[in-house]
Amino acid sequence: MMLQVENLHAGYGGAKILRGVSFDLAAGEVLVLLGRNGAGKSTTIKALMGLLRPTAGRVRLAGADIAGWEPHRIARAGLGWVPEERRVFPELTVAENLEVGRRPAREGLAPWTPERLFALFPNLAELRQRPGARISGGEQQMVAIARTLMGNPRVLLLDEPGEGLAPVIVDLMAEAILALKREGATVLLAEQSLAFASRVADRAVILETGRIVWDGAIDALLADTGARARHLQV
Amino acid sequence: MSVLVAEGLRKRFGANEAVAGVSLAVEPGEMLALIGPNGAGKSTCFNMLGGQLRPDEGAVRLGGQDVTGMAPRHLAHLGVGRTFQITASFASMTVRENVQTALLAQKRQAWRFWQAADAQHVGLAEGLLARVGMASQAERPAGVLAYGDLKRLELAMALAGDPVLLLMDEPTAGMAPAERAALMALVRGIARDQGVAVLFTEHDMDVVFGQADRVLVLDRGRLIAQGTPEAVRADPRVRAVYLGTAA
Amino acid sequence: MDLIFLQLLTGLAGASTLFLVAAGLTVIFGVTRVVNFSHGSLYMLGAFIAWSLLSRLPREPDYFVLGVLGAAVATAVIGAVLEVVLLRRIYRAPELLQLLATFGVVLVVQDVALWVWGPVDLSLPRPRWLRGAVEIAGLRFPFYDLVLIVVGPAVLGGLLLLFHRTRWGLLVRAATQDRDMVAALGVDQRVLFTSVFALGAGLAGLGGALALPQGSANLNMDLSVIAEAFVVVVVGGMGSLGGAFLAALLIGVLQAFGIALVPKITLVLVFLVMAAVLVVRPHGLLGKPQAMARGEVEALAPIRPAGPALQVLGLVALLAAILAPFVAGPYLLSVLTEAAVAVLFAASLHVMMGPGGMASFGHAAWFGVGAYAAAFAAKGLGAGMAVGLLLAPFAAGALALLVGAFVVRMSGVYLAMLTLAFAQIAWAVAFQWVEVTGGDNGVLGVWPDGWAADKPTMYWLALLLCVGGALVLRRALFAPFGFALRATRDSALRAEAIGLDAHRLRLAAFVLAGAGAGLSGAVFAYAKGSVFPTYMAIPHSVDALVTVLLGGVQTMAGPVVGAVTFTVLQSWLLMGDFWRIKLGLLIIALVLAFPTGIAGAASAVWDRWRGRAA
Repeated sequence: MMLQVENLHAGYGGAKILRGVSFDLAAGEVLVLLGRNGAGKSTTIKALMGLLRPTAGRVRLAGADIAGWEPHRIARAGLGWVPEERRVFPELTVAENLEVGRRPAREGLAPWTPERLFALFPNLAELRQRPGARISGGEQQMVAIARTLMGNPRVLLLDEPGEGLAPVIVDLMAEAILALKREGATVLLAEQSLAFASRVADRAVILETGRIVWDGAIDALLADTGARARHLQV
Repeated sequence: MSVLVAEGLRKRFGANEAVAGVSLAVEPGEMLALIGPNGAGKSTCFNMLGGQLRPDEGAVRLGGQDVTGMAPRHLAHLGVGRTFQITASFASMTVRENVQTALLAQKRQAWRFWQAADAQHVGLAEGLLARVGMASQAERPAGVLAYGDLKRLELAMALAGDPVLLLMDEPTAGMAPAERAALMALVRGIARDQGVAVLFTEHDMDVVFGQADRVLVLDRGRLIAQGTPEAVRADPRVRAVYLGTAA
Repeated sequence: MDLIFLQLLTGLAGASTLFLVAAGLTVIFGVTRVVNFSHGSLYMLGAFIAWSLLSRLPREPDYFVLGVLGAAVATAVIGAVLEVVLLRRIYRAPELLQLLATFGVVLVVQDVALWVWGPVDLSLPRPRWLRGAVEIAGLRFPFYDLVLIVVGPAVLGGLLLLFHRTRWGLLVRAATQDRDMVAALGVDQRVLFTSVFALGAGLAGLGGALALPQGSANLNMDLSVIAEAFVVVVVGGMGSLGGAFLAALLIGVLQAFGIALVPKITLVLVFLVMAAVLVVRPHGLLGKPQAMARGEVEALAPIRPAGPALQVLGLVALLAAILAPFVAGPYLLSVLTEAAVAVLFAASLHVMMGPGGMASFGHAAWFGVGAYAAAFAAKGLGAGMAVGLLLAPFAAGALALLVGAFVVRMSGVYLAMLTLAFAQIAWAVAFQWVEVTGGDNGVLGVWPDGWAADKPTMYWLALLLCVGGALVLRRALFAPFGFALRATRDSALRAEAIGLDAHRLRLAAFVLAGAGAGLSGAVFAYAKGSVFPTYMAIPHSVDALVTVLLGGVQTMAGPVVGAVTFTVLQSWLLMGDFWRIKLGLLIIALVLAFPTGIAGAASAVWDRWRGRAA
C-alpha cells in the first residue's frame, strides 16, 4: 500500500470533524473521497497534510507513520497537496511558482520538470512570465497542480480541482488527472461531484459525519442506486 | 417594467477591456443566469451592477432610476440585495445579530447610541432565518458556520431589506449538489412569491439549467448568446467556449 | 551653492544608514508580518557592539571594515536568538500583541545596554583617514559621507540580487505572499524565518555600526531611529525595498535641509512628510494594498455583554472604588485617581481599536488636547472647572473629526502610523509654541474649583466622569451603532451591501474615541494641577496601547482590567532602578501566557469552567 489511513481523528478547537477515518490507497490508484459539505473531506486532506494535527490515528506513507508531523516534513516524505483555493503565489510568475515547488527527484519516479509540466498543461507554456494574480481561475488551478508535482510527490492530494471553474476547464482537469494516472501517479481526490469523480476515479470512499460509510469500486457505486441516494442524495 | 436595465456597459483595466459593451434586463420574478468562462468579465459586470465598480461607459437603471456608479450602500436602500462569491458575513457576531444588523442598517437605525441592539427586530430576524432554514443556528457565531450555511446567512441578510433585485455571485460555490439545488429552489420560491428579480452567476450547470428562466453567456467581455436554457445549451458557440462535455 | 551641496551630501549619507535600518524592518515585516518595534534596539546594539570592537582594534581602515562587519554579524546572531526564543512563539498571535511583545524587548534591551555600556554617550576616537576629505570639482567632500552614500545603493543592489536571483530569495518572496503554502510545499518555515530575521537584524546592526563614527552610541538611539525607520517603511510602502530606498532619500535629504533652514521644524518634518505622502498615496510611494497574509485569519469570538457573575463582580469593584477614600491614604488615593483616568483613556482607545478595528499609536494626542483645553479654560478664560471639563471632550472631538477625515480612509499599520504622525505634530506644537503652552515648562496651576479641591472629592469626581464615561462608551458599543461599527470591521464589503456607511461609522468611532480621551485628559489636568507636552508624547500613547492589549482587545471588560493592572504595576512594582527590564519581561511573559489579553484569557477560563459544570 502507498498510503494507509487508520482510525484518523481530527477537528477544530472543540469541534470533532473526523471520528475514525480509515482507508487504503494503492500505488497507481485514483481514489475519490465523496460526501456532503461538512462531512470531513477537506478536513481529511488537511489532517493528512499536517495542516491540522490529528488527535488520534495513524497515517502510513510508504511505510513511515507521518501522523502528527509538520507539513514541510510530510511534503518531503511525499504527500503533495493542491488546495481547493489554489493559493498560487500572486506576485510570482508562473515559472517562479513552479520553482518554489521544486524538490529533489524521488527514487523510482521520473522527476517532473517545467518542460514535462508544460506538456501536461499546454496553456501554461506561454504564461511562464505572467504573475500568478494575472491568470484566470482555470490557469491558476493548473499552476497549483504543476507546482505540487514539481515536488515529485508519491501521492497527489487534490481538493476539489473543478470548483468554481467553467465546464470546459473542468474537462481539462479530468483529462489531466487521467494523463497523470497513465503515468502511474497515485491520487487522492476530494470531490463533491459524482459526475466528475466517475470520470477519473478507480475507487470511492464516502464520508458522513467524519466516518467512512461506503468503500468500493467507483463502478459499484454508480450501480448502487440505494447507496447513492442514501449517502449522496443523487 | 424591467427591474434592472443595463445598457452598453464597458470597463477597461489597463490594456485589458474586461467588459466590452454588455446590455441586459431582468424582469420581476425572473431568475436570470449569467455564465461564461473564468475571466470572461462576469465579476466585473456584477460589480458594475452592484456599485462596487463604476462603468467607463454605459448606464444602469433600477426601476427606471439612473443608478450608474451609485455606491453599494445607496443601492441597498433602493432594494438591491447582494451575496458575494467569497462569503462575507460579520464573524464576530452571532447569526441572529448578523441579520439584526442588516435590519438595523436597512431601516436606517444604525445611528442609535443608547438602546440595546440585540433586542431590536428579534422577531423579524428570526423570521428571516427560518425562511432560509437557519433558525436552529441563530445563536451560533457566524465565524464557525459551515460554508453552505454562510451562504444561507448571506441570503437572509440580503432579504432583510425587502429587495426588488437580488444579485448573487456564484451563490452555490463550495456546496454539495443536493444543497445547491435546495438553496436555489429556495431563491426561486422567493422570486416567484414576491416578484423579486434574481441575477446570478454560476458554474454548476445543473443549477443553471435547472433553475434559470433565462441564461446569458459572456465571453471575453461580450454577450455571445442569450435565451432559454434549452436554446443556450444547444448553441454550438457556447458549447465550444464554455460547456464542453457538460452539455 | 557649496552649502547646498554639502547639505545634500549630508542628507544622502544620513539616508544610507536610515535605509539600512528600514530595509531590515521591511524585510522582516514582509515575511513574518511582525511589526518589529525592537528593530531600533538592534540598531542601538549594532552601534554599541561596534564601539566595543572598534575601540579595541587598531585604527586602520581594514580593521574598521572588520569591526563594522563584526558588529553586523553579532547583531544578526542576536536577532536570530530573539526570533528563536520569542518571536517564533507568537507568529499566530494578533499583530498588535506581537508589536507589544517587541516593545517589551525594547525595554529589556535598554536596561541591558545601560548595564553593559553605562549611561554615558560613547563616541569613537576618529582616526585621520576617517576625518579626511575628497576634493571633487573644487569642493571638499567629507570622505566618510561618500562612503556612506555608496553603501546604501550597494546594499539595495545586493538585496535585490539576493531576493531575485537565489532560491532562498524566491522562497522568501513566496513566503511573503503565503507562508503556509510554502510549508506545504516542503520548505521548513522556521529556517526561513530565522534567517530572514537574522538578515534584518544584521542590516540594523550594520546601520548602527556605520552611524557610529558620525555620532555616538547612546541609550536614546533606539526609539529615535525606530520612529524614523517606521516612517521610511510606511512612506515607501510596507514590504517594498525600492520604496524604502526612495523614502530614505526623501526623508534624509529633507531633514538635512530642514535642520539648516528651519531648525524648529525638524521635530515634525518627518511626520509631516509621512502625513502628506499617506494622504495622497494611502499605501506609500511604491506599496500595494496590504493583503491579509494567509494563515493568520482568525475568527473573532462574538462579544457578549457581561454575564450576571461579571456584573456582580463589576458592581463590587465599583462599590469598593467608591468607598476607597474612607480607608485609603493620600498616595493610594492619587494612584486610584490615575487609575480612574486610565480606565477612560483606555476605554476610549478600545472603541476604535476593538470594535472599530483601527489601532492607534497616537492616542495620547487627544488626551493632551483635552488637558490643554482644560488649561486654556482655567488660565486663558479664567473659567471654572465645569467649563474646562465640557470644553475638553468637544475640543478633542472636533480635532479628531478633522484628523479622522484623513485617517479613517486607511487601515492597519498605515492607519496606526498616521495617528502617530498627527500625535507627533500635536506634541511638537505643544512643545514649541511656548507663548501659549509654556513649552517644556507646561501650564501650571490648573486647579479644580474650591468644592472639589480636597483629594477625596476630586477622586470621586474623576471616578464619576471616567468610569461613567467608559460606561457610556460601552453602552454605545452594544447599541445599533456598535453593531454597525463591528460590522464594518468584520466585513466592509458586506456592511456597504446592507446599506451601512463604513467611512462615517469609522469616523464616528474615531471622534468618540478622541472625545473620551479628551475628557480623561481634562480630569487628569485638574487632578494634577498642571499640563505638560509629555501628556501627548509617544510613551503615553504606548501606555494606552499596552493597557488595552494587556486587558484584551476583544472583551469589553478588557480596558478596565488593563488600566487598573497597568496603573498598579507602574506605581509599585516598577519603581526604582531597572524598571524597564521588569516591565519588559512582564509584558513579554503576559503576551506569551495570555495571547488574548488578561480579560480575554479570564473569560476563556470562565467559559471552560462553565462548560465543564454544565
